[in-house]
Amino acid sequence: MMNDANVGEMLADSVGRLLSDEVTRDSMLRLEAGELDIELWQSLEGMGLVMALVPEHAGGSSMSWGDVELLLRVLGRHLVPLPLGESMIAAHALAEAGLEVPSGMVAIVEEKLTLDAGAGLSGVGLSVPWASHAEYGIAIAGSGKENYICLFRMDETAREVQETFGRIPTARVRFGNVPILAQASAPALGELGLLPRVAALRVAQIAGALAGVLELCIEYANLRVQFGKPIGKFQAIQQMIAELAAETAAAQSAAAFACQQLEARDDIRGAMVAKTRAGQAAGRGARIAHQVFGAIGVTDEHMLHYFTRRLWQWRSEAGSEHWWSERLGRHILGTDGFLLWESIAD
Amino acid sequence: MSFPFDFRPFEIPAEFDALRQEVRAFLRDASSEWTGWKIGQSWTGFNREFSKEVGRRGWIGMTWPKQYGGHERSQMERYVVLEEMLAVGAPVGAHWIADRQSGPLLLRLGTQAQRERFLPGCARGELAFCIGLSEPDAGSDLASLRSRASRVEHGWRLNGRKIWTTNAQDCDLMIGLFRSDPSAQKHGGLSQFLIDMRSSGIDVRPIRDLTGEAHFNEVTFDDVFVPDDMLVGIEGDGWSQATAELTFERSQPDRYMSAFPLFCTLVGTVRDSAVADRLACRRIGETYAELVLLRQMSLSIAGRLAAGQSPAHEAVLLKDLGNTHEQGMPDLVRELLDVPATIDRPYKLSELQAILTEISPMFSLRGGSREILRGITAKGLGLR
Repeated sequence: MMNDANVGEMLADSVGRLLSDEVTRDSMLRLEAGELDIELWQSLEGMGLVMALVPEHAGGSSMSWGDVELLLRVLGRHLVPLPLGESMIAAHALAEAGLEVPSGMVAIVEEKLTLDAGAGLSGVGLSVPWASHAEYGIAIAGSGKENYICLFRMDETAREVQETFGRIPTARVRFGNVPILAQASAPALGELGLLPRVAALRVAQIAGALAGVLELCIEYANLRVQFGKPIGKFQAIQQMIAELAAETAAAQSAAAFACQQLEARDDIRGAMVAKTRAGQAAGRGARIAHQVFGAIGVTDEHMLHYFTRRLWQWRSEAGSEHWWSERLGRHILGTDGFLLWESIAD
Repeated sequence: MSFPFDFRPFEIPAEFDALRQEVRAFLRDASSEWTGWKIGQSWTGFNREFSKEVGRRGWIGMTWPKQYGGHERSQMERYVVLEEMLAVGAPVGAHWIADRQSGPLLLRLGTQAQRERFLPGCARGELAFCIGLSEPDAGSDLASLRSRASRVEHGWRLNGRKIWTTNAQDCDLMIGLFRSDPSAQKHGGLSQFLIDMRSSGIDVRPIRDLTGEAHFNEVTFDDVFVPDDMLVGIEGDGWSQATAELTFERSQPDRYMSAFPLFCTLVGTVRDSAVADRLACRRIGETYAELVLLRQMSLSIAGRLAAGQSPAHEAVLLKDLGNTHEQGMPDLVRELLDVPATIDRPYKLSELQAILTEISPMFSLRGGSREILRGITAKGLGLR
């Protein structure tokens, strides 16, 4: 156990160091202009990150969700400008269904598609991050009860670029009988398909980004002088930053919970609880940080600007905090014989 | 400092499930007569008969050595018992302080004679402790306290006043912090004493609060004699002795579960009355998610404490978040149900709603006020 945890920490640590050197405001500008950093992708892929969750016999490192939790947070902490988390989840899902993992970036379609008689995919992915740049995509498709995980080439789909808060390249993706490269039954995925796993990724990214925002706020409050002293000396500012710290802590704990539940194969419960709380934390955290920074925080010359837009993006993607909390509330109120305390403690 | 906090998950070992079921079964029977008003008082509710029964079952002083009446069980077993008690709002007040604070303090720093004399009674639920810290002029700035202990032959004379002492009128003993060396610096020169609450010179004045009842007291010391052997630990070290266990105190389930019985009743009422629209579902979902994660954080801290670490900043954050969660519960009830400002006894929801509304201002004051805690967090993060 302890050894595995250390492997996860060591990996996250080395990725964190690489990203803190490589990811700058300039990376944000390039990304938002639609240009991906292929060299960085190659370094990250070369470190075996995409295959982290894939079993060893399928060419991966057999890490658990708990092992990669810190790594996923680090991706958020440094606003990694690449579909690395998505590709990790896709690789894991493909391997889990016994399929081979292709080399290259993979985008994830959250909506369930239909599998035509002629064997092509049909339907719409309403909003797919990285769709215009990834070589591959995965989606869950099915007719009736059986779910299949399907791998396809993104360039076989029709993509309409979308504007988003986060400005990460995102598109609406239409499938008109798109050829399937590989497909397999996916019994491990529940009624919501890949959505809870993407939600867990967004939770970890939010937790990481909030830690980044917290660090920016502390640094700024110690440097910025008004009324003859650093603003961090004012109790009003200290209280706000402590509140931001509490939200960061809650999001971090949510990320740990989501990964724990993924490991326990209760991914919907994990997503309901974790995305609800982390989504709240994202909004509150961004609001507090901008209040600490004053007007300078909104300018695109400042990293906070990029953190904020991604926090707003991630809290809405893969089910917003309100979408998940409603589902959770319906589950609590609508399940016959639901025992509140037992559902938490047992 | 990529991540300033550590909330690695900790799971309670499955081997303690049997204990949990045992406690749950006991509480199912024991709680049949409890009113919403009593349940809502949770760990401040004082019921000696209940505490003695809990003691008989071996659930007080669970982690203490057997030679002092303890049961040599693990911290996590204690945690299981604790959260089961809080989940139903059990009146644990008569043994709470001894189990959580005074007992562990005596085990750590008490003399052999003190341990032998007091701990077995605590573990049986027969000796109730209270804590004498705050004073009329020393609240958040506790170290400015002025009640003094003066050296006399064979002991000390105590003079001054303590305030906000929960259940002092019913307790047998107090562990009080007094200034034993007036010439020392602010945080120095303080000492802790074991004080028999029946000593002459002690006057306990109940303070009526928002509930109309007296849960707190003001305790006046007028030349109260305390023998030498009732000094706890080292003379002059009282400050560090009294604050050392705060990480423990601040991360326990009592910091976020005070309003849990109300949440349970709310969910049941909403379910039965079928008034749940989308927004009601969302609010209940949010509150549940908050609770699950507060427990996740509390367990993480408990696991790290059991491993010998001291996650002090995590504990402070948990208490801040937990208090906000608890305090929001009566508002959630008002938001989802049209409850009037009447107390309709013995209607459980109405009683719970009333008592929790009326005690909730204390949640973010007791055990360190929210603003003091946030100051600690800010300093811990490097704000100077």
